[in-house]
Amino acid sequence: MLSIAISKGYSDFSLTVEVDCAYPVTAVFGPSGSGKTTLLNVIAGLERADSGRISLNDRVLFDLSQRIHHPPEQRGIGYVFQDALLFPHLDVAQNLAFAPSLRREVSAITEDRVVDMMDLGYLLERSPKDLSGGERQRVALGRALLSSPNLLLLDEPLASLDTGLKNRIIPYLRHIRDDLGIPMVYVSHSVGEILQLTGQVIVLNRGDVVASGDFFDLAHHPDVFPLLGEFGFENVLNVTVAEHRAEQSVSVATYRDQTLKIPLAEGVPAGSDVFVGIRANDVILSNCAPEGVSIRNALRGRVADIRDVHGMRLVSIDVGKRLIAEVTAEAVQELGIREGGDVYCLIKTHSIRLAQ
Amino acid sequence: MSEADYGVLWLSVQVATGCVVVSLPPALVLGAILARYEFPGKAILDGVCHLPLVLPPVVTGYVLLVLFGRRGVIGEALNDLGVHIAFDWKGAVLASAVVGFPLMLRAIRQGVASVDPRLEGAARTLGAKPLYAFCVVTLRLAAPAIAVGCLLSFARSLGEFGATITFVSNIPGETQTLPLAVFSYLNQPDGEASAWRLVLVSIGVSFVALILSDRLSRRLDTR
Repeated sequence: MLSIAISKGYSDFSLTVEVDCAYPVTAVFGPSGSGKTTLLNVIAGLERADSGRISLNDRVLFDLSQRIHHPPEQRGIGYVFQDALLFPHLDVAQNLAFAPSLRREVSAITEDRVVDMMDLGYLLERSPKDLSGGERQRVALGRALLSSPNLLLLDEPLASLDTGLKNRIIPYLRHIRDDLGIPMVYVSHSVGEILQLTGQVIVLNRGDVVASGDFFDLAHHPDVFPLLGEFGFENVLNVTVAEHRAEQSVSVATYRDQTLKIPLAEGVPAGSDVFVGIRANDVILSNCAPEGVSIRNALRGRVADIRDVHGMRLVSIDVGKRLIAEVTAEAVQELGIREGGDVYCLIKTHSIRLAQ
Repeated sequence: MSEADYGVLWLSVQVATGCVVVSLPPALVLGAILARYEFPGKAILDGVCHLPLVLPPVVTGYVLLVLFGRRGVIGEALNDLGVHIAFDWKGAVLASAVVGFPLMLRAIRQGVASVDPRLEGAARTLGAKPLYAFCVVTLRLAAPAIAVGCLLSFARSLGEFGATITFVSNIPGETQTLPLAVFSYLNQPDGEASAWRLVLVSIGVSFVALILSDRLSRRLDTR
């Protein structure tokens, strides 16, 4: 477990964080300038906190009162930077070999395994300048893994990639989470990206932790909701593709015992899982099974709670997993939506974002 | 070319090489410090390092003579240790090293400044100690600029005249480098033809140095 209780001040900004990260993946969410990168730098030891304490799995990395400040090379923490920061004078294989060449003991994570896991075999002799953005991030991930870290810090590793590429990197991150069991702190300002990896989030704004916990419990938080951006909260569901209907440009997917028509998931074999993103304000609620509407998807669920936020209502519906719908107060009243009641969540196929 | 001319050429190359060797370590340290750190007195340090660039070389030579001459503050101490610098080829190295230092320093400083310092941070998180990270990442990436700095220093040394003649005089076989030899020939009634030979040699050496450094710089360049 990573325990952080630190503060760091600058002339125009100060960062104060006090959290414990006990989950396989803890996300740090916040707008730019909220101190996310500074937090990672302090954890990695690249910057020094003014006060406080950081420990990882009972090993103290930093403690001002005990005058402990382990340098980055002694922390056993891998760091994947937003812009990869591969060494430009070394080819991919040499970049990967950088950490192993500095170490005497043999590590459990071998180069072969990382090359295999990150699909880097065909890139080994290339120079970083000849890689695409996504390839660069995969190499950066592999390079960090080969330092056999006890913790992996990821600073918006997907921010510089376009959507298609983003979706291709996330499965690799899940591999790291599930197969290698290396805990991660994942910095991002994308709700959809975070929910594909974890539900646990620390929300940072202007250097302060405004909330932490399960993202679904925080969405309505008056200090969190405004940070979700113009598109608001994005639900992420893990659905199973049942069949493709290319002529209609849709794929039929199942979620628990319900079916959902999603945009054509080309290249995804029937029977496999995909993540889909559904924005809270794209979910329309109905108090009866829909008839005579063009919307094809109606997920049945039970209202778990209704939260008031900035004049809107965030209705949390249990459809097997939670789904948040953002609706007006008026609609809630007129439809008689109440906690414990049944509702249908109507979702247009084309407002569903295919995450991979 | 006479045997004396070969002697002059050989001495010049030795002095210029010595100049690069002597200048490089302090230029690397100061270049890195000036590129990476802010500290009180930085402007003064910067100014002192650049002084030889704007001072007339004769003045630089005179200051060196005052400091390192047999009765100079530092010269006397060195004398007691058995090290003689004034009127010796070592003095010629020192004179051209001081005059060429700002050129080398500027090139290295810019080279280091152009390397993203976060790359060193990345190396640290991968297990590299600070000095190792600096050497294998920053210095390696700044290598083309360092090569250019070395060439500038080498070339400046080959051309150095004022500080050298003031500090170590014009002693054949000891301190008489190419420009000083040309100067001597020109002061002889029938020396013009001999001067011409050395002028051509001088051009040739400079040209070779330029080409070699350009090649080296290209080879080291990774961007």
